[in-house]
Amino acid sequence: MGHPVTTNPLIIMLINMTVVFIVLIALSFLIRLIHLVDPTAKKEEKVEEAPQVSAPPSAPAVTAPEPVIEEGIPEETIAVIFAAIAGYGYSSGQIHAIRPVYNKTWEHSGRYHFNND
Amino acid sequence: MELFNAFAVSLQSVWNDSGFSAFTLGHGIMIAVGLLLLYMAFVKEFEPLLLGPIAFGCILANIPRTGFFDEMGVMLAINYGITNEIFPPLIFLGIGAMTDFSPLLARPSTLLLGAAAQIGVFVALMGAMLVGFDVKEAAAIGIIGGADGPTSIYLSMKLAPHLLGAIAVAAYSYMSLVPLIQPPIMKAMTSLEERQIEMKELRPVTKFERVVFPIVATIFISLLLPPIAALLGCLMLGNLFRESGVTDRLSDTAQNSLINIVTIFLGTGTGMTMSAESFLRADTLLIIGLGLVAFMGGTAGGLLFGKLMCKMTGGAINPLIGSAGVSAVPMAARVSQVVGMQAKPGNFLLMHAMGPNVAGVIGTAVAAGTMLAMLK
Repeated sequence: MGHPVTTNPLIIMLINMTVVFIVLIALSFLIRLIHLVDPTAKKEEKVEEAPQVSAPPSAPAVTAPEPVIEEGIPEETIAVIFAAIAGYGYSSGQIHAIRPVYNKTWEHSGRYHFNND
Repeated sequence: MELFNAFAVSLQSVWNDSGFSAFTLGHGIMIAVGLLLLYMAFVKEFEPLLLGPIAFGCILANIPRTGFFDEMGVMLAINYGITNEIFPPLIFLGIGAMTDFSPLLARPSTLLLGAAAQIGVFVALMGAMLVGFDVKEAAAIGIIGGADGPTSIYLSMKLAPHLLGAIAVAAYSYMSLVPLIQPPIMKAMTSLEERQIEMKELRPVTKFERVVFPIVATIFISLLLPPIAALLGCLMLGNLFRESGVTDRLSDTAQNSLINIVTIFLGTGTGMTMSAESFLRADTLLIIGLGLVAFMGGTAGGLLFGKLMCKMTGGAINPLIGSAGVSAVPMAARVSQVVGMQAKPGNFLLMHAMGPNVAGVIGTAVAAGTMLAMLK
């Protein structure tokens, strides 16, 4: 190992933070460049734009009501539900309520197999 | 009588060769530390996948006369993977295969939050130098603030291998404590109005962008910072397996079997570095304290930059996503989501916070590469 360039912690911090910011800013420009040269994006945008031309004027924007979340559901479960909905391209405003659904499908299935096997 | 003598000599010889005869108080303390870590891993479930093997490795490392490192065997082979920085890049291969860069690609400005959160690394570096560590040791300690276990291990092996055990334990312990450490800082540094900000939906990201990004990022960052080419290259290769759509088997292996196997080796090997001689020092307590400073500094740095971005965008960015810039994927993003939901039920921040979260992984690797280039 050679000798460090400097041992002044303030200089190390300034140099490193500058390099980290420059690299990540450059990376963000590269991401934007990839988006600009993306040959598949144009096709998708055109497909999306087509129906919008004939679409009727949209209704005035209304604030989406907050979803009704039943007590007792863990926050992590709610976060996963929101993430899954968002993963399909819907916003959180489109969720009206989160409540557990109790069904006896598995119990019925078990009883059915018990009686028939 | 001859039989009795032979029996006594044999017993004496067994005792002399046993670990008990060389057992010291230090070994006892370190085995107790190993048991405590096992309790934290398996009962309290603090990063059990990593802390479990680390704890067991710590117990093994403090059994005298095992001769693990005297001749080639499984323990020496595992140690070889640690001392030659083989395991951290392989872990990154699996992490890459598990990571979805779409939130980052949809909003590249969140890369800045991943950069800002690295301030914790350098605050801890300054603190470490103030309390007497040399610059290489301080850099290895500071990287704990990146909240990235493999990078912490990678950098400490390069700059301060004698501190590896303490740095790894501090890094993984604090990563598991992210849900406890971050929320008070997040609430203290943001107003209720800021926490309630709902962010605009992310644009869809095409497959072309998801495939091209890991290739371009690898070429660009590796050319700039060759010392981290192995780490970053493996991260992006794993991601390419995931996104290409034609290498599902490789992606599956990288994010399941391979990462599980390497995690066992990495954890056990890291624990094996925690011998009483190297761990039972005042420095260890300092490292654990500085690690906390690094974590808190990183969280605060990300939040401050998040507030700045919030002001600059006219309230389009919720500052809470800034704290996710400390890596700890995906725990830090989940903390942003939970704190946002507490301020306003239905405020969905998880996907927005994943951008700075994965940016933090890249940012920590870049910070490590820069320090390697400057200090090695």
